[in-house]
Amino acid sequence: MLITGIKSRPVYDELTPMTSGLGHVTAAQGSGGKPLVRLLGEMNPDQLAATTVLYSTESFTGQNYLADIQKFKVCGLIVFPANADAVRGLDAFLATAKMGTRLYISGSEGFIGTSMQVATSYGMNRDEVLREHAGSFSRRVWCAHCSHYSENVTRRVFACPGCELNLIVRDHYSGRLAAFQGVKADSEVPGELPENEELDT
Amino acid sequence: MTAIPESAAFKTDETYTPEGEYQFRNSPEGVRRLPFPFPDDDYMYSMNLEPHVPAGDGALRAAFDVDEHYVSECGHRDQMLREMPGVHYLALPHMLEAQWDLLELIFESYARDFPEHFTLTKNGNEWRWQNRLLGIDDSFTFGDPATLPMDPMEYATRQAQGEFVVLEEKDNTLVIGAGMTTQRADYSLQFNLGMSFFEFHGPVPKLHEMGILDRALKFLLRMKPGHPVRRVNWSLTVHPRLETSVETLPEWAPDRVKVNRDNAGDMVYLRIELQPLHRLPRSNAIVFPVRTYLVSLAELVQYAPDWAKRIHRALASLDSELVDYKGFHRYHDAAVEWLSRHDDGAPLATGYPWAPEGIQPGGR
Repeated sequence: MLITGIKSRPVYDELTPMTSGLGHVTAAQGSGGKPLVRLLGEMNPDQLAATTVLYSTESFTGQNYLADIQKFKVCGLIVFPANADAVRGLDAFLATAKMGTRLYISGSEGFIGTSMQVATSYGMNRDEVLREHAGSFSRRVWCAHCSHYSENVTRRVFACPGCELNLIVRDHYSGRLAAFQGVKADSEVPGELPENEELDT
Repeated sequence: MTAIPESAAFKTDETYTPEGEYQFRNSPEGVRRLPFPFPDDDYMYSMNLEPHVPAGDGALRAAFDVDEHYVSECGHRDQMLREMPGVHYLALPHMLEAQWDLLELIFESYARDFPEHFTLTKNGNEWRWQNRLLGIDDSFTFGDPATLPMDPMEYATRQAQGEFVVLEEKDNTLVIGAGMTTQRADYSLQFNLGMSFFEFHGPVPKLHEMGILDRALKFLLRMKPGHPVRRVNWSLTVHPRLETSVETLPEWAPDRVKVNRDNAGDMVYLRIELQPLHRLPRSNAIVFPVRTYLVSLAELVQYAPDWAKRIHRALASLDSELVDYKGFHRYHDAAVEWLSRHDDGAPLATGYPWAPEGIQPGGR
């Protein structure tokens, strides 16, 4: 079973105004505020006036760009204390969004992935969404044995809080689950664990 | 579904699980009809796609092969679906049209190729399906899911050998939209559902660098209904275990360290995958079936000695990255050592066994 070097990790974009959009919504978290501020700076006043900003101040690395975001004259700014709340806020926004809406997501891989789950559920196409990674590459991991999701995983081997098995994190990513795959690390010989390296976070 | 009848030719008491003590064996004829996947002494994978036209009187005679394990394999599928709901069968909501396409393809093929076992009677959209091997006689309205007890794909593939993955064409690639995969070789359907062609091939080494994936995808996107293609693939598994998913890895991976040079013949099974791909007419989806055959190294030696010699040479010279990817680095040496006792080094024919001059099982 291949663990490293698997080519399914998403390739991210750079946020830049999509001129074909009639309305814009951004979903950002923590360090994702930095590319968001850059994006807003590149928008013209009309685009800004048609933009709703969703921002979560929860951050793995303690980055907060709220003060910079507040300087822009956007249609609306909604601030959330937690990433999961921001994802729910995106869901509520898209539920009433019109054709021509363009979505910009920035932040951690887990935040981008869970936001993409919402966008996909509304049938948004890849050419209507831009995603820019920012901050830590800490991983969201799905346990193949108990289906528990672990956030902010930074080591190659960790104990699953769901089933207590030692999992090895594969470089294999599922967009539908918005997570990397964790499998029992010592499945062949119990207790024989591979090297627990730092992930490329 | 009704009870499974006893049948002389079809084994009804086989098991593919440790609880059932792996009561599985092949008849001599069952071995000699296999789609043996080693055309040369050296193995490296390739696209090896060819038109899926009937060939010989073995596994490649029918569009979807049925063999002596049909009844027990369908029983195993039912058991796996009951034991782990939501793990082995999944379909995205928009795949319903492809599900009906697949039901039609399987039932029409079975009824045409095995009329003694299966009958499909159509009166417009009112269909009657008779499966005498499983004792099923159902009528339903084609296209109306309310007239079946479950999803059309689940209904059809519960009565079919092999696993079935349905790929939808989207954004110039193929995306996994549904799967019936109770006999997966080391992957997770839950995890892979929704992945694109390049993504779900991510864990296979060398493919990207060899340019195979690009060519394969271009080829598949040009496929037309009525012109299926096939390829064969293979792996090794310890015990005749069909269900080797990532989810149950902790149950079966420990068996890999139990193999030694003396028990390898009975413990190690060649896992042959026959993959006949079809474009589906209404949905434009592509179905990727993986028809899995299990045969122990000892059965090969006994009933197909030339194939045993061939697999010895192919395994002995196998690229180490492939050994690792296919998951048998723990017992690769033991299997090669055991097989070496049954290889006299005589030259062997090249080509698949269903090709005119291809390698035959030998013996007799």
